[in-house]
Amino acid sequence: MSTITVLGLVLLVLMVLVGGKAGAQSFLALLLNFGLLFLAIVLVAFQFPPLIVTLVVGLLVLALTIFMSSGDDLSSTVAFIASAVVLVVLVLLIVPVEHWALVQGFGPEDSEDLEGLSVLVGVKFVQVTTATAILSTLGAIAEAAMAIAAGLSEILEQHPQVPLRSLLGDGIAVGKQIIGTTFNTLFFGFFGGFLALFIWFTGVHYSVGEILNDKIFVSEILMILFAMVSVILTVPITTWVMTRAVAGQRKRAAKRISADK
Amino acid sequence: MQFLKTNRGRVLAWLVTLLIGGLLVWGTQHDAALYRDPIMRVTQVTTGPSSKETDDFHNTDVQTKQTLHGQILNGQYRGRHLTITNTYSRSGAMDQRYRVGSQLFVVVHDHQDDHLTASAKDLKRDTPLVFMIWLVVGLLLLIMQFSGFMAFLSVAANGVLFLIAILLNGSTQGAQVLWIFGSLAVVFAALTLWLVLGANRQMLITLATTLGGTAVAIVVGLIVFHFTHERGMYYESMQYVTQLPRPLFLAETLLGSLGAVMDESTDIISSLFALKRERPELSAAQVFKSGRQIGSTIMGPLINVLFFIFVADTFPMAMLYLKNGNSWGYTFSMNMSMGVVQSLISGIGIVLAVPLASFLASRFMEKKVRA
Repeated sequence: MSTITVLGLVLLVLMVLVGGKAGAQSFLALLLNFGLLFLAIVLVAFQFPPLIVTLVVGLLVLALTIFMSSGDDLSSTVAFIASAVVLVVLVLLIVPVEHWALVQGFGPEDSEDLEGLSVLVGVKFVQVTTATAILSTLGAIAEAAMAIAAGLSEILEQHPQVPLRSLLGDGIAVGKQIIGTTFNTLFFGFFGGFLALFIWFTGVHYSVGEILNDKIFVSEILMILFAMVSVILTVPITTWVMTRAVAGQRKRAAKRISADK
Repeated sequence: MQFLKTNRGRVLAWLVTLLIGGLLVWGTQHDAALYRDPIMRVTQVTTGPSSKETDDFHNTDVQTKQTLHGQILNGQYRGRHLTITNTYSRSGAMDQRYRVGSQLFVVVHDHQDDHLTASAKDLKRDTPLVFMIWLVVGLLLLIMQFSGFMAFLSVAANGVLFLIAILLNGSTQGAQVLWIFGSLAVVFAALTLWLVLGANRQMLITLATTLGGTAVAIVVGLIVFHFTHERGMYYESMQYVTQLPRPLFLAETLLGSLGAVMDESTDIISSLFALKRERPELSAAQVFKSGRQIGSTIMGPLINVLFFIFVADTFPMAMLYLKNGNSWGYTFSMNMSMGVVQSLISGIGIVLAVPLASFLASRFMEKKVRA
């Protein structure tokens, strides 16, 4: 058996042992997410427009991740709507910045890996890189939205009549608790992936100016920064969606009471 | 601080942030004097003829020549006017189209009769980079205030440590990469948790869980590597490798999972401490059970975060492989297999941290948690 199969089986067994049915479900979501990511690449290679593919795949990934983890209905729905809004805002930010920074495709550091490959393939790489940046933040958006929504729904459970104005403050308070550790997840996640690149820069003695304008470096740092912006924006947006949802619920409840009378 | 809570204070804070942002963007557009390499600003562009290219795999692309006129902004040739030609393709994987106003690094060739020619090297990219850093820091401080500042501080501190570790690695020619980053992981975790939680018992328990979970995951990974003889792992597919790939890969995996395991243990353990504060009568077994429950809802999304970071990055190269007539299987092996292995090992660490955190918290939490 290959290493990936065995590691996958170990992970599955552990997830079921620790989380039971929820663990199995999360593992299935992970598998499906991988399938979706690969599908996105294949579709773009077949000349489908990268941005539209990314948006559709992105929404599916968010839905899968959020609805397949255990959570109550209200917080899952709120987390999904909020993360979809964040995704749209993020696209509006990433598209112009990627066109501005022109970090598409590959840099001189990639030339060894590109040997024997034709790079004139007719796909717009600005869009491919934009898609990459969007996809790499999906996990972080889903996680942050779920954490905020779950925190708020816990507050609502304990104080069902909490006024909407103070709920807004509560959302930011929950956000403050998670932001430090979430940033570190992103920092280590990305820097773990770029370790080789940074070692390259110091080994080949790039000057600071060269590094700060290097295509690959800027593209990778932009990815971290996009992910951080998306996590920050998730906090107020999720809180706002939650207050809308709660306001709607209370209005319906009030109507029902007045109808009963 | 109190002033910032009033409406006027808030508006003022946003205005100051916007002003700083504008200054930074303006500044980086006029910072050419700081660079040693000559920078040219394009003042006029003439677009030349286009030609259609078809490669062996029937991919068609259009290449266009453009002539750029511009002025050198810095160095000994400052103020001189130059004309250079540039070729760009529609896909733009290795090249780019320059526009009027673009600033680019050029290589100047000085001929004897005081006649200058030059070729384009690369675009100057510091402005968008600084803009995005400003956006993140600005939003962080405006929305999260003090907590945002602490989050920024811990990322900055870790960034500095990371840089020191890389320089250290360079000075030992990469022979000690695993030791350097392994011991740095301990410092990283201790520093971050100290900044987030302060020095107390909760921080020690979280630290122990983080280090334990990450270490056990790496050991499990190594055991699986041993028994499967690393079948299906292609170290040669790793990018930018300048030293022995296997220890480098392990160091990357170690760092990658550290943050997520830390995130998770912080969440579980602080919830358990809060729980114990509210209901001090809970027994260790009950605390353990709630810890497992909290953990099993957050582990899935966290594994996802790392998975998308590790694997989405391979998108451009994987697409290029497919476009060059490679099979799906080969494309996966050559681009995504290492990222998937990394995600799986990190995933194992994230899952193992759940019982570990619950056990350590239930066992070593003070009998009565002080409020």
